[in-house]
Amino acid sequence: MPKFPSHEWAEEYVEKLNSNTSYQEAGKNWEGDITFVIRKDEAMDSDAFLYLDLFHGQCRKFTFTNSEEELPKPEYKYIGKYTNWMKLINEEIDPIQGILTGKFKLEGSMMKIMKFTRAAKVMVNTASSVDTEI
Amino acid sequence: MWFFRSPDIVFGKESLSFLNNLTFRKILVVTDSNIERLGLVELIKKELPEGSTLHVISSVPEEPTLADIKELVPEASNFGPDLIIGLGGGSCMDASKSLFALYERPDLDIYDITPLVPLNLRKKARLILIPTTSGTGSECSWAAVLSDASHKRKNELASPEIIADYAILDPALVSRLPRSITRNTAVDAITHAIEGGSSQWHNVYSDLFSEKAIELITNNITSALDDSEPEARENVHIGASMAGLAFSNSQIGLAHAMGHSLGAHFRVPHGMSVGLYLPSVVDFSERSAQDRYAKMNSLFPVKYRKSGLGATLREFFLNIGQPLFVDQCGIDSIDYGRKIDSLVQLAEESTGTVTNPREAEGNEIADLFRGVIRGEE
Repeated sequence: MPKFPSHEWAEEYVEKLNSNTSYQEAGKNWEGDITFVIRKDEAMDSDAFLYLDLFHGQCRKFTFTNSEEELPKPEYKYIGKYTNWMKLINEEIDPIQGILTGKFKLEGSMMKIMKFTRAAKVMVNTASSVDTEI
Repeated sequence: MWFFRSPDIVFGKESLSFLNNLTFRKILVVTDSNIERLGLVELIKKELPEGSTLHVISSVPEEPTLADIKELVPEASNFGPDLIIGLGGGSCMDASKSLFALYERPDLDIYDITPLVPLNLRKKARLILIPTTSGTGSECSWAAVLSDASHKRKNELASPEIIADYAILDPALVSRLPRSITRNTAVDAITHAIEGGSSQWHNVYSDLFSEKAIELITNNITSALDDSEPEARENVHIGASMAGLAFSNSQIGLAHAMGHSLGAHFRVPHGMSVGLYLPSVVDFSERSAQDRYAKMNSLFPVKYRKSGLGATLREFFLNIGQPLFVDQCGIDSIDYGRKIDSLVQLAEESTGTVTNPREAEGNEIADLFRGVIRGEE
């Protein structure tokens, strides 16, 4: 059972995302990359970054790292503290409500992403389906 | 953690007189030519504070586009109001909210009017919304719908910062509403109440306003349509604002996502289009919202009440003349059938699709669109 965040967790997540027909449908017109930024807090001692290159309902490439400098500049960043990420994975926080309540921050053009709220939600729901070590 | 947001609400007879107590000096009224022709701007003018200067923009079109709003910004900026009053139905109030944001922040990309971006408004002016129909709930909500003519899309803009400072619900402004507008707008309000009270984001506050709105509207709409009881229109007017508070503090659902999609392709009154899909969306979502729907069903007048909310809605809509099939909306069923793929795509892009009690896949949304073609239900 992989720990979040880690390369193993990211691998399993991407595998599940790529086999998720709901995501394939909801993200079929999406072209763009996103980095999940997991900020350190009292439960995790360093920042972590999961870069996802998403294209037409598939994740073409992913990179997990503790150094943001190793990553290309993504079109979007979804940023939150580790503890809030764990709540998101455990479905205790809705991904959009998470932003509205200040637990997460989204950086990037709003015009494009607001048309893909369903794809965004399926992405988070997929994270919940990864059997994650608590 | 969640929020309850509302403007200060002034309601009841002669509530327009509240304007007289304000201290604003330069007042911009944003409305449309019909409202002006009906003399409703004059009713406002009579109540404005002594010594204040008024400028009226009465060119808001029906279903304004993003470009329409951008065109109004220079006129607003040249006048330099410290108060903007949006007077009219949903189009005028949504236009006023968007214009308010762009007047405050001319540098703003209109697509940044989302809850995800801090706008830092209210540096130049305040916003009052005064509805002249009973249905959109825009006076109480932090959403604004603007069309994008080039993309045939209804953009759902939303930000807690575009909520009005005051909403004024004066029944005098809706006392002579035509029957068809009274019905269409009330159906819109019922849809707000049902979707706001059952969405995945529903909460105790939205439940409260949803339930009272359903009670007020469904128990008074028949009398309001017949003009048989003087209080009925006022009750529907207040109910509609409560329905606005319900969905604004929760979310819309799939009937709105589909209705906006229909409205982008066909000229159908907004309330009629969302109401067209509401009963089948309720049937589709039933298993995910059983308790909420049961409670809502119990609030309808007994004579309409059936064993499920979807059936009750059909009975109620039949009684008040709300269409249940697409051809009853004046749309050619064959033309409609040809556009289903595009209708589905637009609906899928709406947040209402992900906050509906039961999330829908594209093929399920397509079935729901087809379900209002007579003979394919």
